[in-house]
Amino acid sequence: MSRQQVHGNPRLRKGLGSRTSDSATVMEDPPSGDWLTLRSDQFLKWVDEAVYNVAEKTGIRDVVNRVTRPIFNWGLRYSPWPLHFGIMCCALEMGAAGGPDHDTERMGVVYRSSPRQCDVLIVNGPVCEKLRPKLKTLYEQMADPKWVIAMGECAIGGGPYWDSYSVVAGADTFIPVDVYIPGCPVRPEALMHGFLTLQKKIREQEPGYFLRR
Amino acid sequence: METGQFVQQLAKRDGASDGSVLRANVGRITVTRAASQAFFRVLKEDFGFDHCSLISAVDNQTGFELVYHFSIIDMEGQMLEVHVELPRDTPTIDSITHLWGGADWHEREAYDLMGIYFIGHPDLKRVLLPDGFAGHPLRKDYVYEIHEEEW
Repeated sequence: MSRQQVHGNPRLRKGLGSRTSDSATVMEDPPSGDWLTLRSDQFLKWVDEAVYNVAEKTGIRDVVNRVTRPIFNWGLRYSPWPLHFGIMCCALEMGAAGGPDHDTERMGVVYRSSPRQCDVLIVNGPVCEKLRPKLKTLYEQMADPKWVIAMGECAIGGGPYWDSYSVVAGADTFIPVDVYIPGCPVRPEALMHGFLTLQKKIREQEPGYFLRR
Repeated sequence: METGQFVQQLAKRDGASDGSVLRANVGRITVTRAASQAFFRVLKEDFGFDHCSLISAVDNQTGFELVYHFSIIDMEGQMLEVHVELPRDTPTIDSITHLWGGADWHEREAYDLMGIYFIGHPDLKRVLLPDGFAGHPLRKDYVYEIHEEEW
């Protein structure tokens, strides 16, 4: 065995798949029937073929959707967990809204510190050019379904800094925004109203969640 | 030592002029760019100004002006303003980061927003604006087109 070869049993390195750059060690795709051995992209394709298309064709998907949609939708709209992300003074109002006086937690608004656990991104301040790629990364790290609330004038359109050399003119220039809350800064009541508006939007617009597309 | 004595002694040095006392404990002095490095060294080692509080850059249209604020930690309220004039076309000055480590980010900020080049700075790059930003936006002659620059 020469030094260039892979140490150990090359058969055990199967899981690396096409990720390896060495063409000699690239293994073929696993058998399509056995979903336990699939990579994530292959698994999605397998789900499409084996589950989604069949469920769509037979009409089962529609039936299950109608049954489960009210339940899933109820769960969605009463747990819009926002990301605990503060930019400027509106973040203080966000904190006041979460405090005991207004207590948005009774509407299911629980602040989480990881974007992986969040449904709502509250942009609460001016987004400067240096922050923009980071904020976009945070948005992309959040799992679907996700919504964005633009809180305050700065997040809506740049506010007093709209013609600045470093402030982005509105959060909707780079991420899709669902609810706009005007105010400078936004009062906690207005933020609560924004969350209620988001609830309304979820109730009216969100589809079912059985094999969602 | 009183502030007046500080300023009097410092004003006798080469390149220093306009020594005055602004108010209690706050002195002001003007130094030429060529003499600044030796002046700052004396300021730290002989007069005990061990804290670089602030570096401001002023755009006077005809030229730039740097305003350093130094203080002494053990003498509360003791402050010295050092003004250095820089020509418009060559806004460079020797860095003072080897004397006061805290001047590092002050100098980077002055470079970032006003375009003052600090010779000998260990890591002179932008600190507030994104890398690749064109120009120095706090200069009076900075012209920007709203959100149309690419970087």
